[in-house]
Amino acid sequence: MNNIPLLKINNLTVTYPLNSEGSDVLKALDNISLNVNSGQIIGIVGESGAGKSTIGKAILGLLDPPAKIVSGEITLTDTAMIGLSESQYESFRGNQIGYIYQNPMTALNPVLKIGEQVIEAILANTAMTGKEAYNYAIQLLERADVSFAKDRLQKYPHQLSGGLCQRIVFAIAIAAKPKLIIADEPTTALDVTVQSSVLQTLIKLSQEEDIAIILITHDIGVVSETCDYVYVLRNGKHIEQGETVQVLEKPTQEYTRSLMASVPLIEKRLHRFALPNEDKMEGMTSHLGYLEEERKENLYLNKTILKVTNISKIFYTSSTLFKRKEAFKAVKNVSFSVNRGETVGIVGESGSGKSTIGRMILGLEDITEGSIIYNGRDLKSITSPEDRLAHCLSIQCIFQDPYSSLNPRMTAGENITYGLKVHKLIDSKNAKSLAQDLMTLVGLQRHDADKLPHAFSGGERQRIGIARALGYRPDFIFCDEPTSALDVSVQANLLNLLKDLQEQFSLTLLFVSHDLAVIRQMCDQVIVMKDGEALENGSNDSIFEHPKHLYTKSLLKAMPKFKGIAKQVGFNDSK
Amino acid sequence: MIDYKKKLATLSIEIKSIFSGHPIAIAGLIGFIVFVLTALLAPWIAPQNPYDLMILDIMDGLLPPLSKLGNGTTSWLGTDALGRDILSAVMYGLRLSLFVAFVAVSIGTTIGVFLGLLAATKGGWVESVIMRAVDLKVSFPGILLALMLLAVFGTGVDKIIYALIIGVWASKARLTRSSALSEMQKEYIDAAKISGIPNWRIMLKFLLPNSIAPVLVMVPMALSGAIGAEATLSFLGVGVPITEPSLGLLIANGNDYLLSGKWWISIFPGVVLVSLVLCINVVADRIREHNNPYLKSMDKQ
Amino acid sequence: MINFILKRLWHSGILAITMSLIVFFGMYVVGDPVEMLSDDEFTEQDKIDLAIELGLDKPLYEQYFTFTGDMLQGDFGTSFVYNRPVLDLIIERLPATLEISLLAMVIGLSIGIPLGIFSGIKNNSRASKIISFFTTVGYSTPNFWQAIILIMVFAVFLQWLPASGRGLTNSMFGVEWSLLSIDGLRHMALPAVNLAIYKICMQQRLAKSGTQEILYQEYMTYARAKGISRYRIIRRHLLRNILIPIVTITGLEVGGLIAFSTVTESIFSWPGIGKLLLDSIHMIDRPVVVAYLILITLMFVFINFVVDVMYAILDPRIRHQK
Repeated sequence: MNNIPLLKINNLTVTYPLNSEGSDVLKALDNISLNVNSGQIIGIVGESGAGKSTIGKAILGLLDPPAKIVSGEITLTDTAMIGLSESQYESFRGNQIGYIYQNPMTALNPVLKIGEQVIEAILANTAMTGKEAYNYAIQLLERADVSFAKDRLQKYPHQLSGGLCQRIVFAIAIAAKPKLIIADEPTTALDVTVQSSVLQTLIKLSQEEDIAIILITHDIGVVSETCDYVYVLRNGKHIEQGETVQVLEKPTQEYTRSLMASVPLIEKRLHRFALPNEDKMEGMTSHLGYLEEERKENLYLNKTILKVTNISKIFYTSSTLFKRKEAFKAVKNVSFSVNRGETVGIVGESGSGKSTIGRMILGLEDITEGSIIYNGRDLKSITSPEDRLAHCLSIQCIFQDPYSSLNPRMTAGENITYGLKVHKLIDSKNAKSLAQDLMTLVGLQRHDADKLPHAFSGGERQRIGIARALGYRPDFIFCDEPTSALDVSVQANLLNLLKDLQEQFSLTLLFVSHDLAVIRQMCDQVIVMKDGEALENGSNDSIFEHPKHLYTKSLLKAMPKFKGIAKQVGFNDSK
Repeated sequence: MIDYKKKLATLSIEIKSIFSGHPIAIAGLIGFIVFVLTALLAPWIAPQNPYDLMILDIMDGLLPPLSKLGNGTTSWLGTDALGRDILSAVMYGLRLSLFVAFVAVSIGTTIGVFLGLLAATKGGWVESVIMRAVDLKVSFPGILLALMLLAVFGTGVDKIIYALIIGVWASKARLTRSSALSEMQKEYIDAAKISGIPNWRIMLKFLLPNSIAPVLVMVPMALSGAIGAEATLSFLGVGVPITEPSLGLLIANGNDYLLSGKWWISIFPGVVLVSLVLCINVVADRIREHNNPYLKSMDKQ
Repeated sequence: MINFILKRLWHSGILAITMSLIVFFGMYVVGDPVEMLSDDEFTEQDKIDLAIELGLDKPLYEQYFTFTGDMLQGDFGTSFVYNRPVLDLIIERLPATLEISLLAMVIGLSIGIPLGIFSGIKNNSRASKIISFFTTVGYSTPNFWQAIILIMVFAVFLQWLPASGRGLTNSMFGVEWSLLSIDGLRHMALPAVNLAIYKICMQQRLAKSGTQEILYQEYMTYARAKGISRYRIIRRHLLRNILIPIVTITGLEVGGLIAFSTVTESIFSWPGIGKLLLDSIHMIDRPVVVAYLILITLMFVFINFVVDVMYAILDPRIRHQK
């Protein structure tokens, strides 16, 4: 049975023209070959720009022009799938091959009811008629673990959660019992706890129907838990392939090795990510004195730098004639303290209130109740402009979204030093050289200080953000999901940089993330939050090895397990 | 400063990327530049000053194109009933039409951008008042509003500029506000706030340059709209005064002679008016298309 | 949904009240109503009498209530020129405006939207480029200039169609309609086409950009990935979403039609309210102008309300907004 592959891709090359004449092209896929046997789950892994999604779209003839298949073959059992007409493709889509998108909220049409969207797929791909299709739709939703299936059919997508919508997309995908499902990052848009159960549903459905799955993902953990066979891609090129265990734990290629080393582990804490060829920081620079100078006097201050006592935050909607003011409690009675030089992590899913705490500390949100004492001073008592400025300069922030955290109209250098110039901490003459020094410090090129943010990659922009924060010589940096928008190898580099900088400037970090593994690697103390409440608070080891709260346990359980590359023990071991 | 040169260079690259490969848009741009130059240079290149009633000779009245005038010169496009040279009148009319539209659109856009930024940053009742006023304005067709205003306050170049400003500001305020609000969600604004940068600096250095792009994209459209509106109002006799005819008024003057076969009085200003608006619109379309995120992503992928 | 409608009604009410305040202050406080209402033969004593008669000695708020009270009772004053109640004048001329506006609207929508959707889907085809070029030309040509050209071509040179007046009208529900006779229709043709050309161009452009925006949404690709036929994707997924911007624009454009009908009506001597307004402006017949302003405002408030409700019906995301 395994002799004839279900799907066979041979030397597929897809290009995008880079200019209007088409003389310069980007190879989104470069000579890619791939086999899927029936019932098999194969993973396609790679970072952004690897061309993973292009494969999925190419199979179904969904590539948007100007993308073009230049060469190669795609064969489904014995039908050639390239160059079919739109109506020939229609008979394969949904019917033989199901498709699952990353974000169910944008994949489902917002103005049509769920029922219509499920039933139209059934009608298009099966011989069923009206009433049958309706009953079958209910049955499908139930099989995809959607509760109240009948009611859900009457809803619109925006009325359901992301997890439910994704289950509905699964139901649509299996409607015609296809032989293959292409799942493009099916759980990336979802919260961790939802992710694992949604993924389980997908696996269950495919096993029931003996459907093969091509799982396209950047998440090594997901691959290690679900896939039989893995392909690793980078910049459209094939890097490595093999049995999952083989590739993940004993990678033969340099790139795969560094990719695996970049994956933050949940099992044990490492001192640094063991990246094979990490860019090392250049030596001391002229302004380093400036950066270290004020630091010494701080050493005499007390040990607890931040003390948060019973803080709450209530957001009010504005009242209108027809609606009373509504209150939403984003943070409920949270207390914790942070010691100088320590890294404290707050972990929680979206809507847990973790970022709101940081925004209150930064002064971006008012504190509804409770007190925040920073460096021995209650934030509420800081009213004079001088005090406020001093507070501003002592606490800085590294933001989540590299694409929106820099002023797009200022060069990298201006972004870094604009505030310093406004506060006359540095004169215009020295500003540029300071900016360059700071950029060197965070691992960027000096001469790039004149470039605008859009010329940098996401990871580089995050580094500029770090440089901007360091320019103020802060004692305390609030890191608001600083790596959640980045590829895993970029993330590992950045986290290493943060660790180095923390050591060099004895910084205190408050680190917020939804990613347990990142928190595990970065933090000394961990606070687990859910729906505005701090459920558990303890040292890194105690939270991860002996979680007490049920929610923490379920979070840990939901985390895809990846043990890391073999033979890593013994080199760069835990602290 | 050096920055200035660099920005100019970036701008010229941007212009190139907007227009290259789009011959119609290039033609529009060239046409527009020719019209603007003609308008600017009208006092020096026009055969006569059409506002100077002293030099007009009634004996030259209603001559068809290419006629010889009493003073021996040729009137390329003919003359009107007063003996005014149509070519000169069209040049001066173009000058007035462009002037009125430019002034109205620049003032209207400035007011709109300012109010939009104010609404976005202040919030509360300031925002409510501004946005309700915008709703009020936007729900009412501009041409009708201008007609009313001119009916109440009388006509004149200054009055029509006011009327057009009222037509322009509201949509710009709405656009600026929504674009500023979405910029304010972005983290670089937070970064500026936590660094203690004063609000007015955030507004000018961070918010304004980043939220003005969608408004600027709409400016050419507003300009052609204002030119059309002014022409319409002047044609209806509630726009510019009869002594300083704009293109619209020239068309109205010639309209009475159309049926008697004296077509040149209306047709030439009409052709100039339509070509001017068309040139601006093809340029405006190209700029909008270039800035459309959906089409753009297709371009770049 | 009921909440939504109530909220919109509330907004409409505020809009109407604000507008009445602006008109009141513009016409009765900034301008001198005595000067507006009196003619050359009035003596000073007459003017004082008139001021008392108009209640101008009373406090401002009382004057405002009298002003709105009269309006609510349908008393908009008397035209100087026609010496008849203003409301009668307007109601008499309304059908003429309505019939050409509606005809123009029907022509505009039925040609403009299909053209727009076509050129949106086939964006790079030659046909689409030609269509778009013509609509850009049409859109760039001021209404009054189009009217002049239409008259020159069809009435003067070809002499196919009449260039002015309503022609024969037939009566229905006690109202005279040109729509109901061949001669009337011939008279309607040029003004209606004049109004419709702009509509066609506008709708084509809007439908085109709306189509393109929706075509690049992920749910369109997903619908294809589900194996839905192209026909159904266009009919359900595309049209259903395009309807939303089109309904909004169409609603607002009803207003635009009424506005531009002033221009068209005056050029084609079409006896509707637009021509009445322009004539009144030229003859300084203020009561007519004021009444027109108020009625048009109310109409716009109503149209905006309808558009908002339609919007909510078409877009579930808005409907379910709390």
